[in-house]
Amino acid sequence: MAASLPDLLLTAEKAPADSARARGQAGWARSLRLWLPAGFLILLAAACFLWPQVYPVPKPVGGSVLNAGLPPLSPGHIFGTDPVGNDVFSRILYGGQVSFEVGFAVTAIGLAVGGSLGVTAGYWGGAVDAIISRVLDVLIAFPALVLALAIAEGLGPSELHVIWALSVFSIPATGRIARSATLALREQTFMLAARLSGTRGPRILLRHVIPNIVPQLMTFSLLGFGVVIILEGALSYLGLGIPLPEASWGSMIAQGQQTLTASPDLVLIPSAFLFATVMSLNLVGDALRERWAI
Amino acid sequence: MAAAEGLRPGAGTEFTRRAPGSPTLRLAGRRLLAAIPVLWGVTFLTYVVMNLLPGDTAQLLLGANATPAEIHQLSVELHLNEPFWVRYGNWLGGVFHGSLGTSLQNGENVTTILGARLPVTAELLLYAFVVSLVLAVGLAALVARWPHGIMDRLSLVISMMGLSVAPYVLALVLIYLFAVKVQWFPAIGYTSPSVSLVENIKSLTLPAIAIGLPLFAVYTRLLRADILEQLQREDYIVTARAKGVRPWPIVLRHALPNSMFGLITLVALNLGTLIGATVIIEPIFSLPGAGDILVQSINDHDVPVIEGIVVVFAVVVVVANLLADLLYAALDPRIRYGRVAS
Repeated sequence: MAASLPDLLLTAEKAPADSARARGQAGWARSLRLWLPAGFLILLAAACFLWPQVYPVPKPVGGSVLNAGLPPLSPGHIFGTDPVGNDVFSRILYGGQVSFEVGFAVTAIGLAVGGSLGVTAGYWGGAVDAIISRVLDVLIAFPALVLALAIAEGLGPSELHVIWALSVFSIPATGRIARSATLALREQTFMLAARLSGTRGPRILLRHVIPNIVPQLMTFSLLGFGVVIILEGALSYLGLGIPLPEASWGSMIAQGQQTLTASPDLVLIPSAFLFATVMSLNLVGDALRERWAI
Repeated sequence: MAAAEGLRPGAGTEFTRRAPGSPTLRLAGRRLLAAIPVLWGVTFLTYVVMNLLPGDTAQLLLGANATPAEIHQLSVELHLNEPFWVRYGNWLGGVFHGSLGTSLQNGENVTTILGARLPVTAELLLYAFVVSLVLAVGLAALVARWPHGIMDRLSLVISMMGLSVAPYVLALVLIYLFAVKVQWFPAIGYTSPSVSLVENIKSLTLPAIAIGLPLFAVYTRLLRADILEQLQREDYIVTARAKGVRPWPIVLRHALPNSMFGLITLVALNLGTLIGATVIIEPIFSLPGAGDILVQSINDHDVPVIEGIVVVFAVVVVVANLLADLLYAALDPRIRYGRVAS
């Protein structure tokens, strides 16, 4: 992947040279920069998870061949149907569920495992730091997509296996961010004060370290969330992700590729959703970074 | 300016004498030594992962109709029945003798496969890198000259889009636009440069854009931020302005060289992650490169071929990181003369 997590490490660690405040933007404009993409994400997630529950949509699988290959805006099939006769709109909604679930789970695993490793390494330092850092280094140097492909291929396609495979990306990257954020805190006066007043390690971590690194981890996770969604699509695209005929944006794109010349909309519709989702995640991340000045 | 001249190599011999054995070379040597355990770790990890996976390789090679006797015979032939440590040891021993083993799939020499596949991938990545780097440096310098101007806003939008687009989506959109709608480039296939150089470049253009556009986006974003930071925060910029240096030379001669460090680090890091890009992009465009055979080999559990490709890419990453360190030294005299604890 061209934009994989290690690439983002550098851009994420970089403070933006110009904030919206410096540009003299009005308050409402800054709010809009955050809430426009965030609102889109909330609406999309709600549509994917709630719409099929409250409003009857055609099933995403087992469509009739009689309805195959309908163009977009056909009656009853707003995005048309694919060559097997499945409703594209419904597949978008169900595929979106997969994207959100995988993205959320992988990010959460990265935060839990990578975050604790990084905080541990950064806070205790010394030998602990050396060992954890070397392990993270090897994992970052390792071509993670090979590992992810191997895991997905070996364990067989399923949503859970995709989540395990993609955690290979999120754990070392989150770990590195958490470590450097914790390291930066270590020399702060309030940390010294806490230690001098006899606060114990776990309490310092809970009350002083974690609240202070949350903004950085949060913005990084939003970028990572987008990357994970792209990678989930890539695995599904290669046939190693969500097993067919279940819907995933990646596998929809791969299927649509076969009829690219005749009906490009089968590629373009899931691509547009993938693009809009990832871009919104990136925009929310940027807006939060600006707001928290990190 | 006179003081700066004195810092250039050859101009002031006292500096080279003060640091015997060239600090740059010592730095390079130290990095190379540190790379050995990482390289070993990568090959070992690959071997472990490929062997932990369920699925009998011999069974996979022979297909579903093979008898147990046939499977056993093939396992013995390919040494698949030997313990993991013995196989890894044999492979590692071979590496020290310059042999990467043979493919389990067809008995072909891995070095031969790599020799056929790597040039395609190397050409593709070089194409993508050169174009994205040249465009990124040019655009970043241009927009940093007039920050928050119309060009700047446009470049921010473009880089946000490039950052958000999945490479396979970009590849398909490019094929649809430039190979189906207007037939400027071939949709798939590869022409060797020995056949026709023009056709060769044409066959690599769309895949190179698919790989290069996201890179271009990330590079522009990073470099623009770095240049602006230099322009806004550094005293030497104020000095240059005060003594009447024109705005363009300030950006190009003062700020740009000092903003390259982040970009160099990122490019070196990128090289390793690009193995992922080729894995997706090469099959889409039917390019006979290393990424294409890697996907096949993972599906076939063809461990020697996977190891060969992973090792080559790992070595490339290590060398790229080393070159990045040397480039830092070239750009920053303080590093060159070992004045900065690194």
